[in-house]
Amino acid sequence: MTLPKQRQPLPFPSKPVTVGGGDAALVAGVQAGDVDAFETLYRQHAARIYSLASRIAGSPDEGEDLVQEIFLQAYRKLGSFKGDASVGTWLYRLAVNHCLDFVRSRRAKMGRVTDTLDAAGSFEPVSPRETPLARLDLERAIEQLPPGCREAFVLHDVEGFDHKEVARLLGIAEGTSKSQVFKARMKLRGLLARRT
Amino acid sequence: MHPNEIALNDYVDAALDPAERAHVERHLAGCVECRQLVEDLREVRRQTAALQPMEPPSRVWTQIDRALRQNRPSPRPIWQWLAAAAMLVIGTAVGVRYVTSSRPAAPAPAVAATAATGGGAVAAPGSNDSADNTDNRELAKSVEDELLQAEQHYQRAITGLEQIANADKGALDPHTAATLQKNLSVIDQAISESRAALKAQPASEPAQQSLLDSFKTKIALLQETVALINEMRKGNDAGAARIASGLKPKS
Repeated sequence: MTLPKQRQPLPFPSKPVTVGGGDAALVAGVQAGDVDAFETLYRQHAARIYSLASRIAGSPDEGEDLVQEIFLQAYRKLGSFKGDASVGTWLYRLAVNHCLDFVRSRRAKMGRVTDTLDAAGSFEPVSPRETPLARLDLERAIEQLPPGCREAFVLHDVEGFDHKEVARLLGIAEGTSKSQVFKARMKLRGLLARRT
Repeated sequence: MHPNEIALNDYVDAALDPAERAHVERHLAGCVECRQLVEDLREVRRQTAALQPMEPPSRVWTQIDRALRQNRPSPRPIWQWLAAAAMLVIGTAVGVRYVTSSRPAAPAPAVAATAATGGGAVAAPGSNDSADNTDNRELAKSVEDELLQAEQHYQRAITGLEQIANADKGALDPHTAATLQKNLSVIDQAISESRAALKAQPASEPAQQSLLDSFKTKIALLQETVALINEMRKGNDAGAARIASGLKPKS
């Protein structure tokens, strides 16, 4: 099985992407233990999964570890893949659940029950005259968000889940999801340079 | 009075009903601060929507690949293949033994008693038992069908094991690989000879048993090959040597 010489960027917005008719053959190959087939699957979906993991975890290094864990888990679990969704969707759901389990576990270890933007400091709207002059990369800015806000923001604004889905995934009320996303946007507004 | 934060957020997300949207827009028309806030929130949304997926470093796949090849967390572990093949062998052998043991004894050739008649003529075997001949032919056909089924079962197990063995045969040293190939050739020759014998004499039990024994031998050899490959992949030299020592060239 040949691999593409140049990897093409995945399309955005980042709703689950279906691979198409080649799914069945690819999955069958992986289920038969074909590591090359699994590498093809990895190449098709790794960027999206890595982006999700890095942003939710707030760290590219954590994102690397999470991607490895997610794909190894996928390799073990593909034997039970029933084909009721595309393999990309199945993999994405696995990744979302794994990333959220990770942040919950990390939060529990750190002894925090809840994380709010309040604990991280002011999120007051910045008037135009007080906007920071330095421009920060949005990715780095997202990393700097407090964990609870970051997860809601990434799931809603980056990954495209609606507030009802975000609430279900995070185990919070829908209103809390809206509030967290708003606060994250306000924080980012303060960190990003304004265009005049 | 400014709209609350959720209302402004929902306005940015176009999630307000018409009445609420109109209320917010009336406020925005006269409030520079809130108008600026809305523009800034829209800018955050626009930049967020423009985010591209990030490619993971190449080392990520390298580590995944290494983990897969070392530990083989396969969706269908190797031992499942071996167990499946073993069950096929056992099940088929039991089935064939059942068939052969339940087969009634072949009727002895009929010899007409001539003493009573005093005549010299002796009747040809079975010449007066056409119904028995029909039964024998039907029985032979039934056994042939059973044997064909058994052969198909064995062949499926062999094909499965061959796929595994061939996929990883590069892990074997040339000498071991050559020995295995020679052994397989000897067994394949025995299978061919048994098939030829059966073709000539479909009812021959020794030929049937010889064919089934050859299949079992081939499966055992393929199982050992797969086990040897596994030991070599794990770096277990002692285990690999133990298995390889049993793979002596067959004459």
